[in-house]
Amino acid sequence: MSLRALWIISHEKGEHASIRFSRRFATVELRAKRLSGSSYVAVPEDDCFLQLLLTELGLSGSKQAFVAQRDDCLYRPRSPALELHITAPGKGTLWPVLAISQAHLTLACLPLVDASPGQRPPLSSLLSESQGLSFLAGLQTFLLAPGSKQDGEGLVSRLALLPSVLLQVCPLGTPLELPLTGTLAMPSPLTSAGIQKQPAWRTGLYRGRAVVNVSVVETVRSMQYGNRSRQDLWDVYGTVACKCEVEGVLPNVTVTLSLPPNGSPLQDILVHPCVTSLDSSVLTASSVEHWDGSAFSGPYKFPFSPPLEPFILCSYTSQVPVPPILGSYQLKEEESQLHVSVVLKLHESVKNSFEYCEAHLPFYNRDQMGVVEVKVSSGQLDVSKEKNLLVWALGQKFPKTREVTMEGKILFSGPEPGPSEPLCTGLTAYIKLYFKVPDTTLSGCSVDQHSVQVYSSAKPRIVTSRELHSKDYWIWNSTAFHSLL
Amino acid sequence: MASGWVEKVSAFCRSPSRFLFGTSSEVFLAELLRELRDDRANYTVKVLLLSPLCEYPALLCPSDSVGEETALELMSIFTQSPPKFVQFRSQLLVALTCVLTCSSDVSGRLRAFPDFLDLLLQLAQDTSDLHGDAAPRSLRATACDCLREMEALYPGLLSQRLELLGGHRHQETSRLHQAYAGLQALVLRNAVYQLTQEKEAGAAHLRALLGGNESVECEADQNAGPASGKDSAPLSSVIFGPMGTVPTLHTGPDCKELRSALSSLLEESYLFTPLSQAALLYRLTEVVAMVPAIPPTIFRAQLLRLLGTSEVTLLHTTLLMKSAFTDSLFSSEDEAFLFKRLVVLSQHPLLSTPEKLFYMDCILHFPENRPISCGDSDEALPVLLTPRLASALLPVVFNDSATLLSRFNLLSLVYLEAGEEEDGRGLEYLYEHLTSLLRIVESGGKRENVVTFFRAAFLFLFHFHHVERYCDNLSQQLCQLYLQHTRFAPHLINLADRTQEKLPDSSWALGLLKALQRVISETPVSQTTLRDLRWHLKVLTRAAEEGEISQHGTLRFLSGIIPPSSSSLSSSGDWRLGNGILGVCRRLLVHPSLESMFIPLADILQHVAGHYGDTDIRDHARLYYTLLTTLSREKLATVLAHHAEGGQQVKKRTLSCLMTEGEGLTSILTIHETEVAIIRLIEADCEQLEAEDLVQDEAERGEPVLETYRAQFGSAAFASQVTLKFLLTHTETRDARFDQLFSIRLHFSLTDDHYSELQDLSVPCLFRERPPPVVTLTLKPREPYPSSLHVSAIFTTQDGLTWHTTLPDIRVCFQQIFLPLPAPPSWGRAGRQAVFAGLWEEMSSETGECASSLFCCQLEEKALSALVEKHFLPFLVSDPSHKDEFRALLFLPPQSHVLLKISSEEDAVHFCIATDNWELLPHINDYLLKITAS
Repeated sequence: MSLRALWIISHEKGEHASIRFSRRFATVELRAKRLSGSSYVAVPEDDCFLQLLLTELGLSGSKQAFVAQRDDCLYRPRSPALELHITAPGKGTLWPVLAISQAHLTLACLPLVDASPGQRPPLSSLLSESQGLSFLAGLQTFLLAPGSKQDGEGLVSRLALLPSVLLQVCPLGTPLELPLTGTLAMPSPLTSAGIQKQPAWRTGLYRGRAVVNVSVVETVRSMQYGNRSRQDLWDVYGTVACKCEVEGVLPNVTVTLSLPPNGSPLQDILVHPCVTSLDSSVLTASSVEHWDGSAFSGPYKFPFSPPLEPFILCSYTSQVPVPPILGSYQLKEEESQLHVSVVLKLHESVKNSFEYCEAHLPFYNRDQMGVVEVKVSSGQLDVSKEKNLLVWALGQKFPKTREVTMEGKILFSGPEPGPSEPLCTGLTAYIKLYFKVPDTTLSGCSVDQHSVQVYSSAKPRIVTSRELHSKDYWIWNSTAFHSLL
Repeated sequence: MASGWVEKVSAFCRSPSRFLFGTSSEVFLAELLRELRDDRANYTVKVLLLSPLCEYPALLCPSDSVGEETALELMSIFTQSPPKFVQFRSQLLVALTCVLTCSSDVSGRLRAFPDFLDLLLQLAQDTSDLHGDAAPRSLRATACDCLREMEALYPGLLSQRLELLGGHRHQETSRLHQAYAGLQALVLRNAVYQLTQEKEAGAAHLRALLGGNESVECEADQNAGPASGKDSAPLSSVIFGPMGTVPTLHTGPDCKELRSALSSLLEESYLFTPLSQAALLYRLTEVVAMVPAIPPTIFRAQLLRLLGTSEVTLLHTTLLMKSAFTDSLFSSEDEAFLFKRLVVLSQHPLLSTPEKLFYMDCILHFPENRPISCGDSDEALPVLLTPRLASALLPVVFNDSATLLSRFNLLSLVYLEAGEEEDGRGLEYLYEHLTSLLRIVESGGKRENVVTFFRAAFLFLFHFHHVERYCDNLSQQLCQLYLQHTRFAPHLINLADRTQEKLPDSSWALGLLKALQRVISETPVSQTTLRDLRWHLKVLTRAAEEGEISQHGTLRFLSGIIPPSSSSLSSSGDWRLGNGILGVCRRLLVHPSLESMFIPLADILQHVAGHYGDTDIRDHARLYYTLLTTLSREKLATVLAHHAEGGQQVKKRTLSCLMTEGEGLTSILTIHETEVAIIRLIEADCEQLEAEDLVQDEAERGEPVLETYRAQFGSAAFASQVTLKFLLTHTETRDARFDQLFSIRLHFSLTDDHYSELQDLSVPCLFRERPPPVVTLTLKPREPYPSSLHVSAIFTTQDGLTWHTTLPDIRVCFQQIFLPLPAPPSWGRAGRQAVFAGLWEEMSSETGECASSLFCCQLEEKALSALVEKHFLPFLVSDPSHKDEFRALLFLPPQSHVLLKISSEEDAVHFCIATDNWELLPHINDYLLKITAS
């Protein structure tokens, strides 16, 4: 449950890597030494660690095609715990090093293995493993929190705060809590709150009018091939975000999610640890099982005691019968030109009112676009500056027919070759859709303003909202041979 | 000032070894403590100053005594620091914990330890901070954390305080109750563990610990006592103890107190942060596992909340409970539910990749209620994972590499278990997926795609090497891939090596190499570029290692590329290419079917020896040709044997092995670092400088002696060097590897700028049993002050490895810089006396750098003569007319002098000192003190 050391590394695709912060926990190291006896491997100094980690992550020596140490085909089920092989001085294997990366920031830690020496225990038997993962993720959120430019001063100032933050959240190598991301300030002073115990995750007391904000955000992903031999795929997942400003040490709030009649049940529900109790029926539906029609389909009640900062109350997945936008994409090579034909249909159940809707058609492994003779039935078409991407802005609404088309020819006669992408050779190409629809969800899931219960003296103000947006929404050219995908 | 410390501390933490190279740990520690004590220093900087003590306490306090002193010092700083600097005081407690636990030998606890423990306990109980206008993080919480860490290090340390801690937790209503709870849970766990180790322990002892019965307490106290810390067993988790045994405490059904303590902790667990909550639940799981009288169902009420959680660490705790209690807490429905949950989580769109990978690992190590296998292998497929359930985890090309491989592995195991060898859809899917990856690689995938493909290919082969139709097809596809992208040669060779190593019964690797050899030898030479050719030769070299592969194709290929008429490749005289060709030939020389290839191979070698554009290659080809034509098969094999076991001799390698195949060369080319000093320099007993026999009959000099003397300073070579002699010997560390050292190159580095840079010195060899070689070190002082030198050495051992080692520093003492008066050789005593007199007169005036001084001490007449004889003989310029006065002239290069008039006065011996460099006075004073004291 403890960490022996912690590192924060910044790099640009493996180049210019440097350790921005590191911390060794001496007492945990001493425990590690006693626990592993003669097989003890000491934590190496920063420079050495950095080199080993970059090699293991495949980030070093990017110019060399094959480095045995890095590229050996022998599969070692290592992720998320890496193995670092230390050469002299102090030979041995450092395990399990956890590392998570985002953008150019890599965070790593070395959890203590509290098992008797000798056989290496499975990762899943070490609580320090999940604690390490959680802690690293929390630190990452803290360091890259919005409001700080990633490499700009934000990161620098947060790194400078780290020693005092660590003194609070992990003074001696045992992570106790995650750093607060909302504000850079320290938590408010300790308060004694009468007989009721204050939750350790509630960092202060709110005073003022009660305001509860609940928003349901659904994301739809899709992979459409337009091909009989290959099934189109789509899925929907949602999160319910809350911000509750409620008085009291341990206030009680209940949010209820409801589905329309005949709505398919919410599956794979995950809840925030502040949820006080759960009905077992809420958890029964799962996406990995076939739904037998008898499953519980709401209403889903979540009683909880909110933390002060905004949080994700719960998340779910849902199986909807049709994708919101069904597309067809056909490319034909005609001599030196490419004939393009696209049809996009908006399903009738989806609200025809977008915040934005854009289709991107990139072309890889070809020269830049020269002549573009393409007509669209609705919206506006632009050629990107780099001349390898068509951007089709569909605006706020589909026409009454709920169908838009694009038709035309492109001549790739530009002076320079465009970008390359190994997935998109030959006629293999895709459209990527970006859209956002306010005030709707695909699953039909909603939070009624009146269903939010707050047990407090004053009448609370309750705000609820919904939205749907796309992510990884791909429509592939149906005339290409899709063996790749 | 402050920024200086920021840099200093960060330099230390970045690399303590490098930092301490320039100073010593005592000096740095002293500096840190001095700055910490300084009232004027900024407290933000002071917090920073504590970090070296927190991170490297054992390095800064290498012994008990230093640790003790440092701890006392820090404690006094703590008492003196104003209470408002909470962060500093908290960090100070952390530093104290680190120093007290890490600097001490495990056995002997430091004397400051109990005092500090008292301080912590006192701070932990001090609730006064609540009412003040309070700092963010109270000192109390830090004190609790320090106590918890001490308890973790010395299990049982606080077991007698259990009741007290429970009471504090109970009363605390601020967020701090979490800190008490964490501490209480750990102390409870350790206390119960300790009782399980005692034969007679039972319910009464348990009750005593929890504060029920005072009388038994004392008894338990005597027996138990905190663990010394030597034993690692109490530190490790009991749930995964050796051989799956959990130490148990038999209490009978009566353990109300424990039960109520557990329930009260569990009830409040919801109020803790997920990280602390998981740790608490885990500790309680351990306790319940050790006390069979408490039913695991005590956790039941928390379970649903935990199963639905989005927090990885809380779900993990649930899994660990499952592993500890199996069906006594989880019914088979619960188990199925939990397992499904894991499958869901391992592909949930909202979780991060590392979390999903972690859950995937949990699937493979799922603690089943009724496991079928006894878990010999690392990964066992749970029965619950049906192909249908697993289909949620099918790999797709959009996965990142780690996810993709992990899914590929999991699905392979599933289909293998389901017996899908023949016409299973699942296996087909996997193979199609592999083909998709191959297409991506083919159409110019990035390095990561390439590595991922080869790893997936290895996984496929590893699991399904017996399914021929897929494996044969894979070989073909790989050959095509190779022809398109010859740069994948190292990947293919690596794949062949690994499959051969991991699947000794399979002939797949052989088949692949054979196929590769075929496609290469069928390629027309005219279409081959130089780069392709290099890779081809690599592959052929690997294929030639296989005795079962006929090498005629290879020979054909080689004969195809060497005649200069057919290509410009070999006539170009490219050395690396030549090495490639010879590399293949060398393997062929030891191939079992050498007989049948004798003539074509000889032709090839002869051709290379005669016509290749590079002399080195021609020479080597000639050597191979000679070996081939003159040696018998057996001798040839012995001469060329590679990969010999263990201590391979360098000689053999250099004789017959060339650059390209020297994979083993890496260790030869690497400089290894010794762990401890294995050699050192000790001062040689240098023969006393004799008083020179001086020319007696010398005429009085007319010219001014001083000017003549000083005129010599113009010459660059003039007496500017000091020569020191050392013996190079082994240290006490005995390591047979280092008994014989060769080509030792000593490197000296200065610690200050009093001397000019030193040249490296070479010593041919050092054998343990032979007399040590003498090393002569020539120092060229810029300023004649004592100093010390860092010494390191690079040498070769008998097995051909090169080592780097650091030697103990050597000291240059003050008296080692003394030289006799460098007067012209023709001068006699009189001339020297004249110089002495002249200098004395000048220096006594005390102008410029000149200074004079007097040193007195008690010495008998005899002792004085002996002392002068012993230490000043070479430097004497005494005037025989002054019998009761010795005069010594010490010359210190480059241009300093110390003049001594030594005489016995009535009360003491007087050393009248005059020098033209006043900064030498303290040194001469030290020196005189030293010699007169002994």
